[in-house]
Amino acid sequence: MSSALTARPRGRQPDQLRDLSIVYEGLDRVDGSARFGFGSTKSLSSVSGPIEVRPTLENPSQATLDVQIRPLAAIAGTDSKALATILKTVFASSLFLSHHPRTLVQIVGQALCGTESGSGLGSAGRGWNATLTASLVNATTVAFLSAGSVPMRGVVCAVAIGRLQADPSSSPILILDPEEAELPRLDGSGCFAFTFSAVLPGSPLSAENVPRCALSWTNYTTAGPFDVQEFKRACDFAKKGAMEVWLKMKESVCWLEKSAPPPRIRAESKVEDDETPGEMEVDDDKVEI
Amino acid sequence: MAAASTSTSASADSAEQDALKALTFQRLHPKTYLERFLSENVRPDGRDLDEWRNVSVNVVVCGVKAEVAEPELDRPEEGFLVPNLDLPAICSPKFKPGPPSDEAQVLSDRLNEVLVASGVVPTTSLCIEPGKAVWVLYVDATCINYDGNAFDATLLAMVAALRNTRLPKATYYEDTKRTICSRKVMEPLQIGRLPTSFSYGIFDGTHLLADPTSFEEPLLDTTISVVIDENGGLTSVMQLGLGLVGGADVLDKCIGAAEECWKTSRKNVYEAL
Repeated sequence: MSSALTARPRGRQPDQLRDLSIVYEGLDRVDGSARFGFGSTKSLSSVSGPIEVRPTLENPSQATLDVQIRPLAAIAGTDSKALATILKTVFASSLFLSHHPRTLVQIVGQALCGTESGSGLGSAGRGWNATLTASLVNATTVAFLSAGSVPMRGVVCAVAIGRLQADPSSSPILILDPEEAELPRLDGSGCFAFTFSAVLPGSPLSAENVPRCALSWTNYTTAGPFDVQEFKRACDFAKKGAMEVWLKMKESVCWLEKSAPPPRIRAESKVEDDETPGEMEVDDDKVEI
Repeated sequence: MAAASTSTSASADSAEQDALKALTFQRLHPKTYLERFLSENVRPDGRDLDEWRNVSVNVVVCGVKAEVAEPELDRPEEGFLVPNLDLPAICSPKFKPGPPSDEAQVLSDRLNEVLVASGVVPTTSLCIEPGKAVWVLYVDATCINYDGNAFDATLLAMVAALRNTRLPKATYYEDTKRTICSRKVMEPLQIGRLPTSFSYGIFDGTHLLADPTSFEEPLLDTTISVVIDENGGLTSVMQLGLGLVGGADVLDKCIGAAEECWKTSRKNVYEAL
């Protein structure tokens, strides 16, 4: 019974993330942009800054952070607005905004996939489920890395946790990174965002040299009651997932300039030719002047 | 006699002047003003750091309206619950007349998340005829007096309003494809859970404040909200910002304090209504 409940699509384990994908878009008109995906749940984010700010928004002691979020379909509603406010607070604490006073740092986030069901209006968070939100937070972090123009105090990594409960008497099962198909079965879900920074006080470095992290955002809500122990379990579970995201982000820095990762290195270690030009590289001989 | 009266009036004047100076200081340097109070372990309104206000300070009026609609194609048995909070200009000088402010939109969304995801009114109980007609409940709340922490107050108002709601019995007739509501038979809503919320703020990474006022709210780095249902179980935990006070994680402490507060004062808050 419990095995039927925890049976995840394609045989995923409860603590297994889908394949993470990071692509540096290289959009022309902004300073930094990137796409982040948990499997097929993807978001795109762009960052511009420090740029000129309207006098009404100007802050004499630090840069103003402006966040715009757009869903895939329909106009941005209150859920997108609320998400923008959340991202503003989360990133304001992870950036050194006081280094660039009287300027603007603008973040624009775009969902690249909608929900399979319904229009997303009038029902709780149907447009922005936990995994899509997590991918948006990660895309924004990676866009900041690609821009390189705003000094960062830490790296924000987010993952989503889902909760399955067969009946009120059994203990609930937590799964990492619930996908679209699993959402209807969930009893509760939440997104956990952690700020990884070497300057944070607390626990010592983990084995893989991942820096310490602190929880900077969560919205864990469930239909059935839970207790503090379960919340702690969810937090630790999410922390492990966030560490994997951090490691992937660190790995992605090596293809920051090329915009796309090198062709996938499979377990058979077939190393592909790294020298093939990506879309961003220009072959000078062929450019006509 | 004259000397005594002038000296009392002089001391009254100087007391007024001190009050005026304090108010000016509060407007010009709000953060330092709050820091001075917190260093004495008290808050500007005289409360202790972990003390809660009476439930009646923020006045929120809430009404529930219902209409019949067609359900979504892939959720044919689920009705809709649409909560909305309005923060009009009357409740506080920080809100100007016009379209809903950011704060109202964010609070509406958070309330939506908690009300619908926690199952206060199971959406399947709002079904009249699967695939044809369902109830849509518009839960509209208006704040009349805003003094910070509108989320807790509004959640209380909305759940109380839903508990009080009685819907007419509706039947869907296949032949006319219309829903007819009875004038005489009224049924109360099926209420799943009764959540209450407890919000905290972290100031400057050093102090944890319970139930922040509208003066303290903009100065906080982090807000934490814990929602507890009628049996003492947790429904939702929301944290926005880094939850560190003096280097230690305080989220567990907040959850514990919220459960304590629930046991002592808010356990039967819905019974009284």
